[in-house]
Amino acid sequence: MVDLGQTVLGVEFQNPILLASGCCGYGEEYAGLIALDELGGLVTKAVTREPRIGNPPPRVSETPAGMINAIGLANVGLERFRREKLPWLRENLRRAYVLVNVAGWTVEDFVHVVRGLDDAEGFLAYELDASCPNVERGAEFATDEALLGQLVRSVRAATQRPIVVKLSPQVPDIGRFAEICETEGADGVSTINTFPGLLIDVERRRPIIGNVTGGISGPAIRPMGVYATWCAARRVRIPVIGIGGISGAADALEYMLAGAPLVQIGTALFVDPEVVCQTLEGLRAYGERHGVHRLADLVGALEA
Amino acid sequence: MEFAAPEIAGQAIPGQFVMIGLGLPGEPGLFLPRPMSIAQAEGERLGLLIRIFGAGSRRLTALEVGERALLLGPLGSFFDLGSATRVLCVAGGVGLAPFLFLPRWAERHAPGNRVHLVYGERTASAVFDPGRIHELAGVEPEIWTEDGAMGRMGRVTDRLDVARVDLVLGCGPVPMLKTLQAQIAGTGVPAQFSVEERMGCGVGTCVGCVVAVEDGGRGWRYERICVEGPVFSAERLRWSI
Ligand SMILES: Cc1cc2nc3c(=O)[nH]c(=O)nc-3n(C[C@H](O)[C@H](O)[C@H](O)COP(=O)(O)OP(=O)(O)OC[C@H]3O[C@@H](n4cnc5c(N)ncnc54)[C@H](O)[C@@H]3O)c2cc1C
Ligand SMILES: Cc1cc2nc3c(=O)[nH]c(=O)nc-3n(C[C@H](O)[C@H](O)[C@H](O)COP(=O)(O)O)c2cc1C
Ligand code: FES
Repeated sequence: MVDLGQTVLGVEFQNPILLASGCCGYGEEYAGLIALDELGGLVTKAVTREPRIGNPPPRVSETPAGMINAIGLANVGLERFRREKLPWLRENLRRAYVLVNVAGWTVEDFVHVVRGLDDAEGFLAYELDASCPNVERGAEFATDEALLGQLVRSVRAATQRPIVVKLSPQVPDIGRFAEICETEGADGVSTINTFPGLLIDVERRRPIIGNVTGGISGPAIRPMGVYATWCAARRVRIPVIGIGGISGAADALEYMLAGAPLVQIGTALFVDPEVVCQTLEGLRAYGERHGVHRLADLVGALEA
Repeated sequence: MEFAAPEIAGQAIPGQFVMIGLGLPGEPGLFLPRPMSIAQAEGERLGLLIRIFGAGSRRLTALEVGERALLLGPLGSFFDLGSATRVLCVAGGVGLAPFLFLPRWAERHAPGNRVHLVYGERTASAVFDPGRIHELAGVEPEIWTEDGAMGRMGRVTDRLDVARVDLVLGCGPVPMLKTLQAQIAGTGVPAQFSVEERMGCGVGTCVGCVVAVEDGGRGWRYERICVEGPVFSAERLRWSI
């Protein structure tokens, strides 16, 4: 037997696989297709202070080895999330942990959402989306050292729950941003959010995406995600959650070897929801093949 | 194209769709699965009508006998015939797909219906073989082509008579659906349209596939085509805002 468990953020995750924000709704939508409670956990769609209708369509399209999206943080808002979505997660996820992804435009927006959810049950931690490329000024927090510091400090003061900060790959030195998060009291960082991109329909000479630009995800960004994870993990002691283009066990292992105790699967779910089961099976098989009894031993075990 | 997909075929209702792709890791040009209307469901067999448009549909139509594709479905809402007995189906281009399935399904599940199918293409060369349509759907299509080389010359919406039907169903390009919407407005005849948008997940998680619809007197809102649609009541559709 290979032990897939990981002790992170003060709890024992039954395995390192989480579903990424924006790619699994509020859990419910995938309940018929994925055994959610067999996962390490999931990260909800971003929750903002007020409900948001999001960007005009088209919002998604295929790109080489991946996709582009500009959803524009469409979500039900703090109040409905708490009233309608969280109870379902609390009832249905007993072993898998829930991280609530929080987005905003000002520090105050983030703090408002965190305060509004903090005494509710059904989730473990917050993931602060400091890096959404699809709304005006979205990635500002994760690209401005002072602003990021202020964000983490303010949210830290508002909650005892673990805080994970989701970082943007659009910075020259992501390790520096991870350090700021650590210094200001974050319990972890997650790397990476999507890369900004632009897809053009040359026949019509127009952008394909309604928002003009969008975020690129999927296998195309995996090496950049692994790199960012490796850079961040070398600089901080808090855990780094690896994200970007994971479509199977080998991909997840790259992130783990680069230093991530947990990983998130996003876009690959759209291609095949069974990717989750297959990844878990693949991790077990890898452990057996390599005589690794505790997967946790592989975290950061890259020989370079 | 036909696929052995017993679970999907057994549950499918006209208007619903499947997500079809190659699974992981995917191939160049076909990573995300594509939404396709269910065009036939007979026993274990699921039929799709795929028009070559870009790389994705080109790869899908190149699938060979024995190759595997990943199908997820049946998904989304469907055409609701209610108590209608005289149903007019208006198809533009590959919007024909659900109407290859609907007439026989209606015969089986809501007998006594009379389905009239009007089907238009830009050119005669694009027209799906009328003999095949008859064979698959069990109805004789009324064909329109803009070049006039087959059937009547013009567009499906040119001489529509909605006065003697109880329900109009539409599937095709947005300009066609908009014209149809305008023609029906005020006649009191209910209509349902199947609409398209680019999709990610097909099951409601990514909120990628939205269309603007009337929000019960409170203006409009976006709804997901893959869950609340693809079939919407025509008078609700506001298209993009
Ligand atoms: C509910 C629904 C039912 C559909 N049924 C059919 C059908 O029965 N037969 C058929 O041939 N086509 C159907 N389509 C369109 C189909 O999904 C393809 O997306 C379209 O044929 C584009 O071709 P491609 O994949 O070759 O384009 P590519 O150029 O390979 O596509 C690039 C990207 O554009 C997206 N895209 C481009 N045009 C469309 C479009 N019109 N609708 C949705 N996504 C688009 C693709 O999904 C992909 O993400 C349907 C779409 C929807 C939403
Ligand atoms: C459709 C879509 C919606 C997303 N929404 C969010 C979001 O609300 N908040 C967030 O932090 N990240 C969001 N992301 C980013 C993902 O969580 C993830 O960081 C990124 O897609 C890279 O991982 P992947 O390649 O496995 O998809 C979204 C991604 C996609 C594709
Ligand atoms: S395609 Fe993802 S919500 Fe419809």
